[in-house]
Amino acid sequence: MSRNTSIQVTLKNISKHFGSVRVIDNLDIEFKAGTLTTLLGPSGCGKTTLLRLVSGLEPPTGGEIWFGEQDVSQFSATQRDVGMVFQSYALFPHMNVEKNVGYGLTVLKETKEKIRDAVSRVLETVNLEGFQKRYPDELSGGQQQRVAVARALVLEPKVLLFDEPLSNIDSKLRRSMRDDIRGLQQKTGITSIYVTHDQAEALSVSDEVVVMNDGAIEQQGTPRDLYQRPNSAFVANFIGDSNVVDAILVAEEEGSAIVLGETRIDLEKRKVENRPGKIKLSLRPEMFQLRETGDEKKHVMGTIAHSAYVGAVVEYFISTPVGELFTTAPVSEEQYAPGRKVFLHFHPDELIILPETRG
Amino acid sequence: MQVSFGERSFRVGIFTWAVIGVISYWILPWFALEYGLFDATMDEYWDTLGWKSHPVSMLTPVFLLLFIPIGWANWSREIQGRLLVSLALVATLLLAVDFIIPGRSMGLGTGVILIVLAALFSYGIARLGFLQGDIFISGAVTVVIFIILVFVFYPVLQIFYKVAVTKEGDFAPFQFFNIITSFGIGRVVLNTLLLAISVGVATTLLGLLFALYSVRATSPLRHLMRVFYILPIITPPFVVGMSLILLFGRAGILNDVLMYFFGSGGLFIPEGVEGIFERSGYIYGFRGIFLAQVLSLTPVSYMVIVGMLTAINPAMEEASLTMRGSRWITLKKVTLPLLAPGLANAFLLGVISSAADFGNPLVLGGEYDVLSTEIYFSIAGAQLDFAKAAALGILLLVLSLTIFLIQKKYLGKKSFVTVTGVQTAGNVTPLPARLQRYLSVFVCCWLLLIGILYVSIFLGGFVKQWGADYTLTFMHHKELWTNGFSSGGWPSFMNSLIFSFIAAPLTAILGILIAYILTRKRFVGHGVIDFGTVLIFAVPGTVTGIAYIMAFNTAPIELTGTAIILVITMIIRAMPVGIRGGMSALSQISPSLEEASLLQRAGSFKTLRSVLLPLLRSTIISSTAYSFIRSMTTVSAVIFLASAGTNVATTYILSRVESGDNGVAVAYGSVLILTMLAFTLLVQAVTGRSRIEKQM
Repeated sequence: MSRNTSIQVTLKNISKHFGSVRVIDNLDIEFKAGTLTTLLGPSGCGKTTLLRLVSGLEPPTGGEIWFGEQDVSQFSATQRDVGMVFQSYALFPHMNVEKNVGYGLTVLKETKEKIRDAVSRVLETVNLEGFQKRYPDELSGGQQQRVAVARALVLEPKVLLFDEPLSNIDSKLRRSMRDDIRGLQQKTGITSIYVTHDQAEALSVSDEVVVMNDGAIEQQGTPRDLYQRPNSAFVANFIGDSNVVDAILVAEEEGSAIVLGETRIDLEKRKVENRPGKIKLSLRPEMFQLRETGDEKKHVMGTIAHSAYVGAVVEYFISTPVGELFTTAPVSEEQYAPGRKVFLHFHPDELIILPETRG
Repeated sequence: MQVSFGERSFRVGIFTWAVIGVISYWILPWFALEYGLFDATMDEYWDTLGWKSHPVSMLTPVFLLLFIPIGWANWSREIQGRLLVSLALVATLLLAVDFIIPGRSMGLGTGVILIVLAALFSYGIARLGFLQGDIFISGAVTVVIFIILVFVFYPVLQIFYKVAVTKEGDFAPFQFFNIITSFGIGRVVLNTLLLAISVGVATTLLGLLFALYSVRATSPLRHLMRVFYILPIITPPFVVGMSLILLFGRAGILNDVLMYFFGSGGLFIPEGVEGIFERSGYIYGFRGIFLAQVLSLTPVSYMVIVGMLTAINPAMEEASLTMRGSRWITLKKVTLPLLAPGLANAFLLGVISSAADFGNPLVLGGEYDVLSTEIYFSIAGAQLDFAKAAALGILLLVLSLTIFLIQKKYLGKKSFVTVTGVQTAGNVTPLPARLQRYLSVFVCCWLLLIGILYVSIFLGGFVKQWGADYTLTFMHHKELWTNGFSSGGWPSFMNSLIFSFIAAPLTAILGILIAYILTRKRFVGHGVIDFGTVLIFAVPGTVTGIAYIMAFNTAPIELTGTAIILVITMIIRAMPVGIRGGMSALSQISPSLEEASLLQRAGSFKTLRSVLLPLLRSTIISSTAYSFIRSMTTVSAVIFLASAGTNVATTYILSRVESGDNGVAVAYGSVLILTMLAFTLLVQAVTGRSRIEKQM
């Protein structure tokens, strides 16, 4: 049922105020046709509000919402043609699976046979054939979640919305469920918006991620983009782990260099857009290798403050002249006791230089 | 051009309503009939038709038909909405003026046309984007606001109006102060306050003890506390007072016993010596009312405190125990402070209920006047002093409203939440052993007293003359039930049943609708409904009674003497039950269920019908049942409004008490209690935990 009629969702200058609280203020955002875009951010950042604005459940205070070439700002949720998977699933407890999934079709006054066929077809796509007569309280959490997805899909909406759909599912199952959602979205090609506060879920499931903070967009881009080129300390910290440190950028004839405490790192051919002077760096924990030996001029020297064995890796907190740095090392390597002096080796290309204006 | 489904239903809706209006203009009475609709002759009916006698007879139908082209025209939503809204408002205004100026009363047809206008108004505001253009909810909001304006605000304003004008209709701004500073009123207010506060303190203390006992004691006796839930529900408020008279009255059992031993010629008194005891009416006055109110109101405070007590997380008390606090210390330093809001709530509830109580002071008051009875006596009988009744009503209203607002502000919405006995996880800390022993004795005494009270009510109906002649007899019951359906107790009993039967489902539905609008919707006018609800909760029954008499005795809305006004009174009086039930049920239904339905293209009407109503089914049943019981047992407001033809059970009983026929009154009361008990048990059997309740 792939559709070539996917539409782009555009929010223009959208605002939502609750009394004097400006949850969302003059936001512009595009969700590309046929893609799955995640709204990612800490709780209270306005991501769920944004989703509800798109659904029509919440009227905007100002601004416009466009589905493709149509302005739907004045449409109520009932008229907007969106499907939504709620955090709590919101399955009707007094209806069995078939009635739940077929609810929208009965509203449209379809014939009984048509409803039955449509329901069994959509249940098949979520691997729940044969569950028609079960009631929600007779299903596991994962099954309930899939019923909710089936119900959102059955009317073939223009836009699919997911409001933290996996937050009530235990972590093992979550991994396979998010793959299912991803697969389903790609198969149907319905433009989808997905809200979560779990960055791993966001990275794995989306075509694009929008990182939100305090009602504003911090950065929008592909998962890889966000991880490798975060444009603010907030994004660097929110997507994966990161050590954000101060450094100084110096420009010389043969190329730029970064002064990080005692250490000086030549950037060689790498292009830098920042102006020379104070900058902020994001150092990913996994870019470091811990060595007993090193050159103070090229590697960051530090002392192990404390370490923790967490199974697959050992986590180290290392006191250095630029502040405490967090890193991990494979268990197979030598373990360093607190107080040991170590050198942090890394490749200059892996340094992330955060843009000036932010963070 | 293709007309969409929504557009078509909009047009059809407007067309239908306009046509209903025109038809009712043609066939239903425009003016009120002198003797009611069913007793009118054909000629009288003919005369009240608007198009016959109305000076501008064609204006109304033309005006109504005007709505149709507006609804069908292809104008913008904005223009259509504005036109509909302003036309409907203008029409309502014209109607009101047309009746108020000549002082004539509206007939049924006018009522229907008002409803039609309300519907057209709702279509208009929905067009303007009110409540996201939802016609059904717009209509519901309009109707609820209309009801609140007419049956809550208007009567209350009438009290203020009546106190500001003299009997002759002159403006008298200081009349209120003259009345409340006149002789005797200060004493009445003091009496009311003294009684209310003592009853508040007593019921709170007793409620706390009983609550601790029922939740924390290990003795099997605590299961008997269940009667606390049932008895006050099914007992008309003044029946406790009546039974106190049987026990402690002048001819009561206690007097008899004391006379037998200590009176002149008594067992312990030597021949020829004066008795040291004389029969006396010690129960009449403060003591009696106090005792009756404490007996009937303690269960209420008990339920509030039990709800609070079971909501306390047992872990907190366990924490205290692990820190070497004894059970006593734990109770004193942890449990009681945590209960404080519940205790305050119970106290305020006790105060309000005592001040609003009418039946017990009427039966037991004697010389002790309180506001509620004083209001009644100002307009009962020959006095007919409306200004005084209104002034006293204002005092009572202000008192009750103040306490209610304090409660609402400082104690949150707790009073809205129905108290359920849900036990949280963990082990509750039992009572200190000694406390439990004392309490057991006390609870036994209390239950015994209640037992004697109820037994005496039932026996009282079967003895010839309580206090004088204890011969068993059926004469009272015979007088009530075997003299045909048109005399004795039957007419009032049937009236009670029929009125309550009509009022109860309407109360439940309206209550749930108001709860739904209040909790789930935000809109302009929300405050009106919110304040209206506060008034519905806070206005004492006596005040409702005089307000209705003043508001609906004259044009333009003349309803006194009809059954309609009694049904409406019952609905408004039982509304708190409906609203509370609706609120607590809705708080258990996640709003996302409705949102899920809306996103499946269902409108709000379909959502209400297919999603909410099935989930609210058991609430609707229990709300209906309790509204029914409340309507059956209500006294304070209906006593002002019941007339010879519309007497109900409670007013009939009171009239027999007043004429001294205690035997008949008690016999009737016991039948009423049994009816209510049977009904309650039946409802509880039917609404046993259903599948849906378990899922929520």
